[in-house]
Amino acid sequence: MVTHAEAVIWADGLTKTFRGRRSTGVEAVSGLSLSVGAGERVAYIGPNGAGKSTSIKMLTGILHPTTGRAEVLGHVPWTQRRALTRRIGTLFGQRSQLWFELTPRQSYRMLAAIYRLDEGAEERRLAELGGLLDASDLFDMPVRSLSLGQRMRCELAACLLHDPQIVFLDEPTIGLDLLAKQRFRQLLVRLNEEKGTTVFLTSHDVADIEHVAQRVIVINHGQVIYDNTVASMRRSLLATKLVEVTFDRPPDNLEMAGVTVVTADATSLRLAVDTTITPVRKVVDVLLERADIGDLSIVDPPLEQVIANIYEQAARP
Amino acid sequence: MRQPWAVAATMAARRVVASPSALAVSSGFYFIVVSVVSALWRAAAGVHHGQVAGYSAAALTWYIAFSEAATVALNVRMIEYIGQDIADGSVAVELLRPTPLVLVRLATESGQAVARVLPLAGIGAVLALVVVGRPPSWTGVLVALPSLALAVCCNLAMQHAVAAAAFWTRDARSTWFLYQKFVFILGGMLLPLEVLPAWLHHIALALPFMAMSYVPARLASGHLALGLIGLQVVWLIVTVAAAAGMFAAGQRRLQVVGG
Repeated sequence: MVTHAEAVIWADGLTKTFRGRRSTGVEAVSGLSLSVGAGERVAYIGPNGAGKSTSIKMLTGILHPTTGRAEVLGHVPWTQRRALTRRIGTLFGQRSQLWFELTPRQSYRMLAAIYRLDEGAEERRLAELGGLLDASDLFDMPVRSLSLGQRMRCELAACLLHDPQIVFLDEPTIGLDLLAKQRFRQLLVRLNEEKGTTVFLTSHDVADIEHVAQRVIVINHGQVIYDNTVASMRRSLLATKLVEVTFDRPPDNLEMAGVTVVTADATSLRLAVDTTITPVRKVVDVLLERADIGDLSIVDPPLEQVIANIYEQAARP
Repeated sequence: MRQPWAVAATMAARRVVASPSALAVSSGFYFIVVSVVSALWRAAAGVHHGQVAGYSAAALTWYIAFSEAATVALNVRMIEYIGQDIADGSVAVELLRPTPLVLVRLATESGQAVARVLPLAGIGAVLALVVVGRPPSWTGVLVALPSLALAVCCNLAMQHAVAAAAFWTRDARSTWFLYQKFVFILGGMLLPLEVLPAWLHHIALALPFMAMSYVPARLASGHLALGLIGLQVVWLIVTVAAAAGMFAAGQRRLQVVGG
């Protein structure tokens, strides 16, 4: 657990209530507490309406909380927003920072002036980002001629131009094709590993979480309902394992408590094993004994299913 | 150190140059409007012994060329679009920059508007030269050029001040229509303010709309009153302060109440 002193993002009991003119109010965030250390890659996820957006707005200083405390890089976001904006970067997948009629480099010139970078610093930074994001050749092309994947790399460069210590990314891969998504995820990991930039990512794409994040914070109804490493989340939350086998001779009988057949054909079988009832080792022993096994693998269930389970568990009274 | 406002305005002007087709469309529209409206005023002058409210047919043509340029250069529904940005929360994202939101917006819009208004004034000047010949005063036309730039900036600042009401109302869709009518009539876009009844003329001269169209048009029509430019500068300061104040109050509300 990251302590308050070590944290670059820290919140304690953040609450935000939106009050209508006649209504008593809607509590979008309800006593949210979290802490994120420098250099972490965190996925911040939750179902629609969970309070992600509102809490990020509070952590970046756009919104004042109704109650609670927070610090980002030592700044209280809502009272020191301007100072904070110089040290954080934000990327919203559906909102462009680039002007379509111009080249990215021309848009960067305006952003550099906003962040008070002189021309020398701007050029050095763009050369560095061009290499890091493999985007140097894109900086002088009109934005309107770039593919979405190319544009998102240029958007990321815009977000990183002032060398932020934390980047907040909201659905950064939305709309990208498979290859562009993979490349973008690799770039985020590279940015984190080479520059130590803290990555705080929200996404509904499970692959973003799986391939970028080391840690997952799940919120629902405005509260943190789960906070752990991605690997632990897989291991601890689902006792179910998938056993996949191929064989020359199928097993005679596989009736065991806690074992269900997911798919089966003449040469292969997929079993779901509830390890709280039957250990997976016992199932493997039975398979080896009763069938002529060609190949066998034990896999975790897809992360999607794990996350769905967390949401469902939180929804239960 | 580069000033963000100056860079924003320059880059925005480059956007206009980089989209010649958009400029061509507004130029075509402007050419038609100036041709028709100035023809009407020349006809009106014709039946009034060659003069309307102290303006000759030639002066009226130069007046319309500049009054229309000052308004055609701007997006007619800007108030609505700013209001949408406020209502849907887009504006909140702009708070994630270390510069005052409204000033960067104003610099950007002003850069674009100035880049549009000067070519339009050029087209208007050529049209007026062809139709009625040289202007009543070349000096007046030259002085009207910086006045045009002040006019569009003043108009933009006022539109931002009005649109900022969307921080409270969440809707600025209807406001732009009413605002445009004020610019058309009380701003002197369609008609010189001297044509209005005396009481309305006095009211119009006391309102900021006169700085948005009437002043450059009056100067281009040969009425060299440099005090009018001073008045424009005063209105520019007032409208920018109003926009900044409204946005600052709106931002505070947004931060407390949410977007």
